[in-house]
Amino acid sequence: MSAKKVTVRMKVNGKDYVREVEPRYLMADFLRHELQLTGTHIGCEHGVCGACTVLINGKTGRSCLQFAAALDGAEITTVEGIAGDGPLHPVQEAFHDAHALQCGYCTPGFLMTTIEFLKTNPEPDRDEIQQALTNNMCRCTGYVNIIDAVEDAAKRLREGAREA
Amino acid sequence: MKAIEDFTLIGKTVLRREDSYLMRGKAQFLDDLPEPKGLIHIAFVLSPYARADILSVDASAAKALPGVIDVLTGKDLAGDIKTFAPVIEIDGYHDVRRPVVAIDRVNFVGEYVAVILAESPYAAQDALDLVDIDYDPLPSVAGIKAALSPDAPVLHDHLGDNLIFRTAFETEDFDARFAEGDVVLEEEFQLGRVTGVMIEPRGCMAWPDPIATNMTLWTPTQIPHIVRTAIADHLDIPESVLRVVTPAVGGGFGTKAHVYPDELIVVALARRYGRAVKWVQDRREDLLTNAHAREHILKLRVAVANDGEIRAAHLDVRTNCGAYPNHPYSPTLEATAAVRMMPGPYRIRNYKYDVCSVTTNTAPTGAYRGTGQPSAFLAIEGMMDRIGRRLGLDPADVRRRNVIQPEEFPYVNVVGVRYDTGSYSQSLERGLEMVGYDAFRAAQPKDRLVDGKYRGIGICNYTEVSGTGAPGWRVRGFAKMPGFDSSRVVVEPDGKITVYVSQADAGQGHYTTFAQIAADRLGVSWEDVMVVEGDTAKTPYGTGTFASRGSVVGGGTVIRCSDKVGVKIRRIAGYMLNADPERLVLKDGRVIDPEDADRSLSLREVAETAYSMNNLGLPQGEEHGLEATDYYDPPMVTMANGTHVVQVAVDPEDGRVEIERYAVVHDCGRVINPKIVEGQVHGATVQGIGEALMEEIVYDDEGQHLNANLLDYLIPTAMDVPNLELSHIETPSIDTVGGIKGAAEGGLTGAVPAIANAVSDALSGLGVNITRVPLRPAYVFEQIRQARAERESSEQ
Ligand code: FES
Ligand code: FES
Repeated sequence: MSAKKVTVRMKVNGKDYVREVEPRYLMADFLRHELQLTGTHIGCEHGVCGACTVLINGKTGRSCLQFAAALDGAEITTVEGIAGDGPLHPVQEAFHDAHALQCGYCTPGFLMTTIEFLKTNPEPDRDEIQQALTNNMCRCTGYVNIIDAVEDAAKRLREGAREA
Repeated sequence: MKAIEDFTLIGKTVLRREDSYLMRGKAQFLDDLPEPKGLIHIAFVLSPYARADILSVDASAAKALPGVIDVLTGKDLAGDIKTFAPVIEIDGYHDVRRPVVAIDRVNFVGEYVAVILAESPYAAQDALDLVDIDYDPLPSVAGIKAALSPDAPVLHDHLGDNLIFRTAFETEDFDARFAEGDVVLEEEFQLGRVTGVMIEPRGCMAWPDPIATNMTLWTPTQIPHIVRTAIADHLDIPESVLRVVTPAVGGGFGTKAHVYPDELIVVALARRYGRAVKWVQDRREDLLTNAHAREHILKLRVAVANDGEIRAAHLDVRTNCGAYPNHPYSPTLEATAAVRMMPGPYRIRNYKYDVCSVTTNTAPTGAYRGTGQPSAFLAIEGMMDRIGRRLGLDPADVRRRNVIQPEEFPYVNVVGVRYDTGSYSQSLERGLEMVGYDAFRAAQPKDRLVDGKYRGIGICNYTEVSGTGAPGWRVRGFAKMPGFDSSRVVVEPDGKITVYVSQADAGQGHYTTFAQIAADRLGVSWEDVMVVEGDTAKTPYGTGTFASRGSVVGGGTVIRCSDKVGVKIRRIAGYMLNADPERLVLKDGRVIDPEDADRSLSLREVAETAYSMNNLGLPQGEEHGLEATDYYDPPMVTMANGTHVVQVAVDPEDGRVEIERYAVVHDCGRVINPKIVEGQVHGATVQGIGEALMEEIVYDDEGQHLNANLLDYLIPTAMDVPNLELSHIETPSIDTVGGIKGAAEGGLTGAVPAIANAVSDALSGLGVNITRVPLRPAYVFEQIRQARAERESSEQ
């Protein structure tokens, strides 16, 4: 039942937000319907598909399993925060070139997972990539091109880091 | 006019324009659309019973909840929405209609019993638990065999039994021909019940205009025009005031190619309340109520000559319709597909089939990628291996003995389907070569045990029906399935091009590939072509995107339509240049006279003349504007083909199947965009791996659904994907425009039988007979355990 609203402060994609929400309001709904950041998708609402994956204080988390109120003060990155309207992030470029998305509904979740994964493991082999991606479901691509894209993204990021 | 052979952009990988907005999180899926003011959110109360009488519905507590607008039952809606049913005209089919919200009786778990209308989705969810419904549970039935038993409860009284569809066919003197075989083999195969599991569940939103005469329905459907017709029919509103628009669609796979009760309901409610109405499905509802598929039992009996030639085949197919026929296919869809596709790439001339479909207290079944074909090929390809085992022949040789040879095309199969071109034997040979089939067989021990695991190899050589035209739907009873698709190609006043197509993309990349096609035909860059589809108000009428028809029918109409506009462009340019239009060439965004290279016009200059934006005027008899419309009804069907060869290892310790080699040969005729075709093959193949090894919706005997979540209904993850080795053959169709064949389903159709055959081969040394999918570890383990136990007891 609707309870007293609580104040939630959050930094999302570098911008500060303050909102009043019910304590039970889901983080995914908060992003999508309070902040109009609809790039984060909901595929199952029970923590299995990974479509709702965002970065919470730099670590991936499922926004369908958490309450916005519990994340008061957190720093969040959603898919909209990866590249904004600017040039694509190397991970996005790799997905584009490999045709690693079809309907694209799962893609925001895969991008968040990949970005975190390649930070912790910049030079993964295919097995490690496959393992890292099991947190996200895709029904269109058969994962083959996603795995290729992550391999390629790792290379791009390493090369970028060398140049920088 | 440009010959098909002169394609410059068709056949090239162009990276998709869709990707940028999808990857930036800017796509507008249904639940991402801006919400209109005064939006009503609805939720459905679902039946917890497989079969029960509804004695009473008390919604007073729910209605009292703040934010709840109303709670409606089936009775409340009966005046607004007619009982729902597809239009099927085929002998042996019995009409069954359903109220879109149950009235006195529920017939499956998940059936809608009441609708909550609320100011917010949270309020609607809260109210769900407060609707007090008094049910009187009744005896129920879930499986095919149980439904056919004489004492089974009858779901729909007017049928008298649970048979909703039954038909049969046989060629002349079938029994005599059958008797001519040297040996007879018979096997019963089974496929589990599966469903599409698009990562985006369904949902829809109806939005009346302020005076509530015109209505827009946003729905992620693969068949917007058919949805509009069905809603107009069942709500008694003119089609002209209803507009169906597809937002971005998060995967379809056939599951979104149905008309669903909720689509009728949101429109009816929006009319009644004069407010926008929105519904978003959750995953549990997806698994409980969206169209399921398969759950087939196939009994195949063949008479075979000693050299392995199939002399005659009799296929008996039983399917489970669920509680009601889905719209627009009914259970005839998979049933007729299975029996009509079974002859596949083989020379089967004496054929008999029997089909029946039963109603049960389970969710309605319908379309899903592959439709009947994984079943047909599980049977015939499984039989090829059994013939080999029985006659001591290599199963590859049995296929070689029966496969249609290159010189036999065009070939008309035993049920009258024309195979215009194909690469059936080349594809088979290439697949075998890719995995080193001969070497594997030569090294394979009789007991199949290598390094502690049973290792086997399986083949599926298949045909893939695609681009079905009107005649193909009519023979199967789909009286209201148009078959054609259409397009309108417009050269705008500025010389840029807009292509309106009657289809609806669900991830296939139409916005890129249809632009490639039009650009190719009109000699412009593909970036200058915009594609509009999924909107009944903007595009001409058509059938939609399912059953591997997008490229064949959509692609075909865009070719034809672009060429029609090309004729007018040349005619006007010819007048402007004082040159014979026939010799003008469209290239690089210009109309060029090859005999005088200095004389050329930009498309914009031609368009300005067509739109009366200069002083030139049009030639006598020429109409203004620069566009054309085309309706393309393709042949009855167009057959793509391919071969999967799979090598597996089965672990006797836990029954797990590991795929060690996987070769796919694929022939979909003329390819428009190779990378996109590759994506279709990958995606379908991995769905096939899911259907073969893990996916199954489980009902208990009473019809209680046991796994309506993604922890218990398993779909493949990245860990389940083997290294797929792909090889393409390109044998253009001679019957379709552009030589295009479909590509979306073959991967799944090939995978299910090939994997089952590989496991079957691996366990053949043990004497295990694999006849069903999915082959989940517990099942496989149990088969191995039993076989070993029998062996031990017989050795004692
Ligand atoms: S929506 Fe959060 S994991 Fe599926
Ligand atoms: S691209 Fe459609 S679910 Fe992944």
